[in-house]
Amino acid sequence: MKIERQNWYEDFEVGQLFRHRLGRTIGEFDNSLFTTLTLAYHPLFLDEHYAKSQGFASRLINPLLLLNVAIGLSVEDLSETNEGGAFLGIENLLFHRQSSPGVTIYAESEVVSARVAASRPQFGIVTWHTVATDHSDEQLFEFDRTNLVPRRHRT
Amino acid sequence: MNDVIEHARGRTLTEMDGVLLSTLVMNTAEGHFNEHAMQGTAFGHRVVFGGIVTSLVVGLSSDCFGENLRRDIGYPRIAFKNPVMHGDTLYARSQILHKGRVTNEGGLVRMLVQGFNQDRQEVVEIERDFILKSADGVSSVKAASGGEGEESDLIQGWR
Repeated sequence: MKIERQNWYEDFEVGQLFRHRLGRTIGEFDNSLFTTLTLAYHPLFLDEHYAKSQGFASRLINPLLLLNVAIGLSVEDLSETNEGGAFLGIENLLFHRQSSPGVTIYAESEVVSARVAASRPQFGIVTWHTVATDHSDEQLFEFDRTNLVPRRHRT
Repeated sequence: MNDVIEHARGRTLTEMDGVLLSTLVMNTAEGHFNEHAMQGTAFGHRVVFGGIVTSLVVGLSSDCFGENLRRDIGYPRIAFKNPVMHGDTLYARSQILHKGRVTNEGGLVRMLVQGFNQDRQEVVEIERDFILKSADGVSSVKAASGGEGEESDLIQGWR
């Protein structure tokens, strides 16, 4: 049997909550690789001695890596599709505290809005509010993500 | 403030970047790594994940203030304008929108960052808030003429 990984617009209802099943421990290698590949050459992320000189216990994780992992953890439940969906954007991304390598990220998302796209009625526009926490349930950051999501019954 | 900076470096996004970084962050959407599956779609090919586009454009825009970054507060807005494909080259342009009060941590900055591809199409538009270290109590970002303007809830919250 062929297994499908597909999220349709009709699968989402405002207020619906998803606890994404996987967590991810972000290590020094992840942080250095992501940060250097994206040319974000900040010593707070890349230079251990500098980070300590600024009063931190160790290097900080590049916040955009944190964002990308939280999105990644949520994709299977929210936005995995081969039917022409699109990532439209992020709003209200707020970091509550900084993290260092060794942190484990978990994510949970709530559907905050869902409506048919006026200009493309075969799609809906869905917004989810995602909260990322560490293993002890402490909130690390949160954001709203909006995607174009294909409709199951095409008009 | 209000000066538009065209950042010096461009970066060609390769198949390696697209596949490595989307799988590294556990993004399971095939559109980023299954070329065969993308052949029948409107895109025709794998697309670079928007989170990578955002991160690279922000990276390209941060050459001017590198080690003076003290803390990222957040990103009020990230909006994708055009898709990015393997082989596209990205460039960054930035503009300070607002500067806030300076404390012992530094000065708050709201910056607009735009990413463009080799054809000068805008691929992403980003607003980000962060704290920049200040030198001797004076912001290290060149002072602008005029007042501070309206403050958002976010900036008031930081205060």
